Amino acid sequence: MQNISLYVNKKSFVHDVDFLTKLIYIFVFIAIPIISGSVIIGLLAILISLILHTCAGVLKKLIPIVALSLFVLLSVIIVQAAFIPGYHIVFFSLGPVHFYQEGLIHASLIIVRFLDILLVSSLTVLTTRPSDIVETLQRKGLSHRMGYVINSIFQIIPQMVSSMKTISDAQRSRGMETEGNLFVRVKAFLPLIGPVVISSLVGTRERAMALEARAFSADAKRTYFHEEMKYRYKTPVRIILLLLLVVSIIWRVL
Amino acid sequence: MNLIDVQNLHFSYPEGIELLKGIDLAFDHRSTAIIGQNGAGKTTFVKLLKGLLKPVSGDILINGVNTKEISVAKLAAHIGLVFQNPGDQIFKSSVYDEVIFGPHNIGIPEDEADESTKKALIEVGLENKVNDNPYDLSFSERKLISIASILAMNTQIVLLDEPTIAQDDYGKQLIQGLVRKLEGEGRLVISILHDMDFVAETFTRTLVFQNGKVTMDNDTKSVFSQTEAVRRAYLEPPHVTQLGNRLGYTETYLTAEQFVKDSLRKREEFKQ
Ligand SMILES: Nc1ncnc2c1ncn2[C@@H]1O[C@H](COP(=O)(O)OP(=O)(O)OP(=O)(O)O)[C@@H](O)[C@H]1O
Ligand SMILES: [Mg+2]
Repeated sequence: MQNISLYVNKKSFVHDVDFLTKLIYIFVFIAIPIISGSVIIGLLAILISLILHTCAGVLKKLIPIVALSLFVLLSVIIVQAAFIPGYHIVFFSLGPVHFYQEGLIHASLIIVRFLDILLVSSLTVLTTRPSDIVETLQRKGLSHRMGYVINSIFQIIPQMVSSMKTISDAQRSRGMETEGNLFVRVKAFLPLIGPVVISSLVGTRERAMALEARAFSADAKRTYFHEEMKYRYKTPVRIILLLLLVVSIIWRVL
Repeated sequence: MNLIDVQNLHFSYPEGIELLKGIDLAFDHRSTAIIGQNGAGKTTFVKLLKGLLKPVSGDILINGVNTKEISVAKLAAHIGLVFQNPGDQIFKSSVYDEVIFGPHNIGIPEDEADESTKKALIEVGLENKVNDNPYDLSFSERKLISIASILAMNTQIVLLDEPTIAQDDYGKQLIQGLVRKLEGEGRLVISILHDMDFVAETFTRTLVFQNGKVTMDNDTKSVFSQTEAVRRAYLEPPHVTQLGNRLGYTETYLTAEQFVKDSLRKREEFKQ
């Protein structure tokens, strides 16, 4: 069964960092470029994130994520530079459309912030095991019921995909055409919906019983399957991150 | 012409190791058992025959048609597969709808489809559960539903993936009767099994899968007469066969009847 989580299971110092520290990193690295208002600082934050992606061995996974966002970025440039009224200095023209310099500067700021947010979050998503995220939250007081719900969200889509494949195999095994042009596929897809929903409902009932049979709703203190991630340098790293934030605020105010 | 031709078949799942490493087989209408340890690739092999999976290299011809060149749906009129897990096969909300689904799809006229559906349900002994919801029935009954839903399509070839799972003696007898009847009609039954006693009593030909190859292929009696080779494939010979061996009989026994008959005869000879 494939997984919808983007987590890449590798060994690196980035993977070793605990989730809370990564949350602080996300917050600080998004806040600083916005507070500073400088494109250079933003680019610097992006560069650091890129280096961290490389160290973690997940740079390749970043390509489709960034490629998907290119469409958004392109529309930002076009709208900001060509269609916002009130700009004067024409930077270049494409036929009848003029791109203004002020607009381009503004667009570049937006793009840098956008990429920064994208990279900072993707680093965390790519290098943190979903179950670690949930366990961290549970250790910090999230109820185990909510934890289960969050974990299920990571599983439900691949589960649906695989049960769809199973049922479609059952259908074509008995002569229902599912291969061919779009029309055939759509026609084959519609009768899938009922069985997939029913089988997931039946699955839910069985799972609820299986959970109860193993005392899911008991009140006893819980233990965890994974050991709590003990990141050795968590305190210094967190302090450095927060210091950076403080410095950037002070620098901005002065 | 052979009903099925398998030529130099290789298969591996994406990112998996090579599971089938060059298999050449021809199937006529003799009922055939496939045995082999867990994970030997038996289920994978029948899914390849069915066309649900395509060979990585090599070819599979069903009635002379290459599975790579025909859709699974079109092939379904010729070859039926009863899945290992009935939960993977059943998706309708009444037993009748489930069983008639196949006949409808392959274009059998309504009254004929209705007739063969009812006949198939009688054959598996579920004629009283026609309107039940399959989800409410037991595992063994659902397995029988999935068998009926293939029988109702009247295919020339029937593949069974562990049909005797969870069946009591009544269920096993019933399935044995079906295999013999289909073989008698000149239709090919290929079945995966873990119950060696059942294999010995029921099937004409037996194939042993091991390490991605077919290591034994012969009539059932010859296969089980090679006790050592069978054990090397991590399989246990049928109990009567073992009993005969331990008693030092040279004959390979496949059924209790045969064993008892010979033993009584030997006793008579001994008395005289
Ligand atoms: N969809 C799949 N993707 C990847 N690997 C698979 C898939 N299905 C099966 N396998 C692997 O292929 C191997 C053979 O599986 P298969 O189901 O064909 O064995 P089998 O002989 O039928 O075993 P059993 O007697 O337990 O039913 C197993 O190791 C299994 O884990
Ligand atoms: Mg199997």
